[in-house]
Amino acid sequence: MRVHLKCYQALLLAMSVSILSACEGGGGNPVSDTPQPDSSEPPAAPVQPPVSPPPPAGVGDGAFATPQSTSRFLTQATFGPAPLEVSTLTGTSASQWFVNELSKTASLHVPQMEAYRSLFADPREDFPVIEPDVASYIFWKNTIDGNDQLRQRMAFALSQIFVISNQSDNILSDYAEGMAYYQDVLIQNALGNYRDLIEDVTYAPAMGFYLTYIGNQKADATIGRRPDENYAREILQLFSVGLVQLQPNGEPVLGADGQPVEIYDNSDITGLAKVFTGLDLVGIDRSVTPTLLNALADTAELERNFLMPMAVFESRHSPLAKDFLNCSIAAGTSTAQSIDLALDCIIAHPNVGPFVSRQLIQRFTTSDPSPNYVQRVAAAFDAGQFSLPDGTVVGDGRKGDLSATVAAILFDAEARGASSLTNTQFGKVREPLLRFTHWARAFDADATRPELGSTLYDLSGPTRLSQHPYRPRSVFNFYRPGYVAPGTTSGSLGMTVPELQIVNASTVTGYLNFLSFFTLDQKVNRPITELEGDVRSRLGKLSFTQSELLQSFTPDYTDEIAIANNASALVEHLDDLLAYDTLSAETKADIVAVLNAAPLQDPSSTSELKERVGLAIFMVMTSPDYLVQR
Amino acid sequence: MKANRREFFKGIGASAMATAAFAGRPGFFSAHAADTSGYKALVCVFLFGGLDNYDLLVPYDTTSYGEFQAARPSLLSQYGSSRARSSLLALSPLTSSALGGRQVALPPEMPQLKSLFDAGNAAFVANVGPLIEPITLTQFQNGSARVPARLFSHNDQQTTWKASAPEGAQFGWAGLFADAVLAAGANGSSPQFTAITVDEAGPFLTGRQTAPYRISEAGAPEVRVFEELAMSSTPKSAEFSSMLRSNLGASQFVGTHVLEQDMALKVSNGLSTNDTFSNARASISPLSTAFGEGGLSAQLKAVAETISIRSQLSATRQVFFVGLGGFDTHSAQAFSLPPLLTELDSAIGAFQAAMAELGVVNDVTLFTASDFGRTLSVNGDGTDHGWGGNHIVVGGSVMGGDIYGSVAPPVLGNSLDTGAGRVIPSLAVEQYASQLGSWFGLTSSELATALPNLRNFDQNTPRFI
Repeated sequence: MRVHLKCYQALLLAMSVSILSACEGGGGNPVSDTPQPDSSEPPAAPVQPPVSPPPPAGVGDGAFATPQSTSRFLTQATFGPAPLEVSTLTGTSASQWFVNELSKTASLHVPQMEAYRSLFADPREDFPVIEPDVASYIFWKNTIDGNDQLRQRMAFALSQIFVISNQSDNILSDYAEGMAYYQDVLIQNALGNYRDLIEDVTYAPAMGFYLTYIGNQKADATIGRRPDENYAREILQLFSVGLVQLQPNGEPVLGADGQPVEIYDNSDITGLAKVFTGLDLVGIDRSVTPTLLNALADTAELERNFLMPMAVFESRHSPLAKDFLNCSIAAGTSTAQSIDLALDCIIAHPNVGPFVSRQLIQRFTTSDPSPNYVQRVAAAFDAGQFSLPDGTVVGDGRKGDLSATVAAILFDAEARGASSLTNTQFGKVREPLLRFTHWARAFDADATRPELGSTLYDLSGPTRLSQHPYRPRSVFNFYRPGYVAPGTTSGSLGMTVPELQIVNASTVTGYLNFLSFFTLDQKVNRPITELEGDVRSRLGKLSFTQSELLQSFTPDYTDEIAIANNASALVEHLDDLLAYDTLSAETKADIVAVLNAAPLQDPSSTSELKERVGLAIFMVMTSPDYLVQR
Repeated sequence: MKANRREFFKGIGASAMATAAFAGRPGFFSAHAADTSGYKALVCVFLFGGLDNYDLLVPYDTTSYGEFQAARPSLLSQYGSSRARSSLLALSPLTSSALGGRQVALPPEMPQLKSLFDAGNAAFVANVGPLIEPITLTQFQNGSARVPARLFSHNDQQTTWKASAPEGAQFGWAGLFADAVLAAGANGSSPQFTAITVDEAGPFLTGRQTAPYRISEAGAPEVRVFEELAMSSTPKSAEFSSMLRSNLGASQFVGTHVLEQDMALKVSNGLSTNDTFSNARASISPLSTAFGEGGLSAQLKAVAETISIRSQLSATRQVFFVGLGGFDTHSAQAFSLPPLLTELDSAIGAFQAAMAELGVVNDVTLFTASDFGRTLSVNGDGTDHGWGGNHIVVGGSVMGGDIYGSVAPPVLGNSLDTGAGRVIPSLAVEQYASQLGSWFGLTSSELATALPNLRNFDQNTPRFI
């Protein structure tokens, strides 16, 4: 076991040369047992470019220095910069913005889910028609219009680690309470502590259902029953430590055989599986209705119990000793205490910081972070504190503080420095959902009634975006953090690029079609009765007016229409607004040439100008320059 | 041809299996480059989540069935009558060596597969799973033989099935098979249609030269913006449309950022391949074979349609990937698994009928793959991750009506049981793959390139195709 880190060594991995050591956060001794890579191994990955030292106080203060730098920061930290927000914040302190975000009121799912439910005169009868989709309606509201942008962005990132999904027809699509309560667990803990989060997740009925430990029982040899292993396996592999031993910088420790060292085997899984026995939905009586599905069908009120943590049924909990990860829980320990001890044991593992930090960096700033970047963020995670550029310390000092972690991600020199803008490997392919929220925020598209946007009902198919809120295909998310895309330049460089896993011939066109529908405001070209029919078929008795329908996700292009006579000026404006001035001159010239190839017949026609604006936005947002967030 | 081989098998009996096995060994073919004559396609049906091996080949003789009941009493009772012995579809394989004196049956959800088996067009390969080298239980327990990394982990074992290494692997064996046939001149100027997927294939179809082409159930989606702009009041010139098409295809992209270059290439290749594919699909004659409801049926229908336009695509060798999820039956297995088996049965049945309709029964081989088998023991109402699993091979070239490999006994603590009935595979995935690759036309050295651990096993590969 490695000791708690306060100070770290940066290794130039492939060359096995220590180029830098630096201390931060109260000093401490350099750790001496950082495993050294086997220097006889040929370099497996390209040499990392020299890394900047950890940021001295003051670096990052310039985050809001210019409209472009403000826009870039907000692109990384929110669901997309809105023009007014950029102009208001430019020239102010990014540190202060961050501190303000921490105290903003959380936009929660449960109250909004209840509000949807109450729109129906007879919720029991009529609410089910929208139950599979209500979580995504709330997602659009929170991400496009929510004031707590950082919290929501972090919660969305966490929803891609602690994955549950309402993709198939299951209890999570049939009972909206489960998803609503679960997303609130993520939202409320998003800037809190990872240990608290993983406990709330563990007790959440939706996770209990998704990873099948709701109702899980102790072994019974007489009927050949043993505890379900599903959650035990995934809480380790996906939610906390991964599979192999990690260095503090997130790189695997290699054994004598040159291979990564696995940190547990199946006996750890069977040991930990005993911990997650005895939890079940509040109020359920398995002696009457053995299956959850039947219990819910028999007793309608039970669905409301998805709005609270699972209850402990002590007699169903394993009384045996539970051994895993070099931890041991004594025979006879209660359910709650076993879970408590198990989660403490898991969170104490030194892998957690680098394992979680690397994935969170991928969700905010860059797909293939340098080991040094990972190590600095993991250090903030482990220390539970981070000093903002203005000197404000965020985090309560407890390992797993997520406000400190996300601050370390966003204010890191690699994320903020101008050099990362020119580094040809820094950045990430924008997630398809974030492209859409970005468009909606940039052009103030109306998301007050997202349920009226029939184009958004299910984006998970390959002819759509292969990404729908809270609807990954499995617990392995839309894409894997370790995905290296075959047959690409990034792949030949060994770069992990998760989002490329959902880019293929089908989704490429799916995205074009999705985007042009919105940017060119295509709903006005469809008969209103047809639009109404699409919505009606998914909303049942929910009432709406035609004008609400037409208003839904309609962009405000006023500023753009005002300059659209000049294609070049329009494209420059969009480059600033959408890509903080990162479109290449060639890309802009190409877009301008296409626009000019469709000359305006009547330069005063708003509809012509609006179409030109929509087309220009479409081309900007489909350009490789835009698709990669730098 | 099929009947002849069947006769041949009946004639020589089980004792000649060893000879047959040698015939299928890499090295049997002495050619220096892959055989690319005629048309051949491999179709992988991936059963995501880990198919319960004990619920595909169900123990059937009264002793085995009794043992099975004793191992899974709570689960079998939840199935109700569908796993009653009298409901099962007993199999009568041509040879009995795989069964160790036992009998097995298909579940009642799989009547079409039973018919295909009886007609000699389907076979089962028992207890297949990832292995690096042969290993006994003792060796497993004392760590004296190598085992695949990250056993029992979904994503890693899926990737190991597809690419002989855990997650992060870059090249899959079907992609490397495709490389070999392309190098030998298959598919002329249309290499982009060599490897086609209708699901998330991971690295399976990726080779050093081969990249998978992703289609949807309905073929390739059309870009709609041109039609949308045509609805506007201002008419657009042909020159404008051509410039826009070129812009969307990122064909003039000159940026130096690695990810931007990757995106530009994916967009550009994707759109142009879609155009070619859509043009070829325009000539499809509708199949008279009816495919059922469900995602797998739709995916296999798309494969059948693609095979029907093989000449328009200039394809002589193709590998396809389709998938069906939901097999990770930790919970409510008796409720959720039977409908999946029904869907699998129906989709395979329709696909095989479509191959007959297209006259390519002997040219197309479908096979299953899955993360792993499952535990024999029960966790209440489901089963957990195992290792070896049972698999299905379908096609006119398959030496059907038989079971290959070795069916694991339904007894906890048997000689392959690493715990809870997670059995050590009797046959490595790479052995299974080598038979498919050999049929596809690969030489022994090409097989060795695609299947790095094959040399550790090649004495023991039973020939099933």
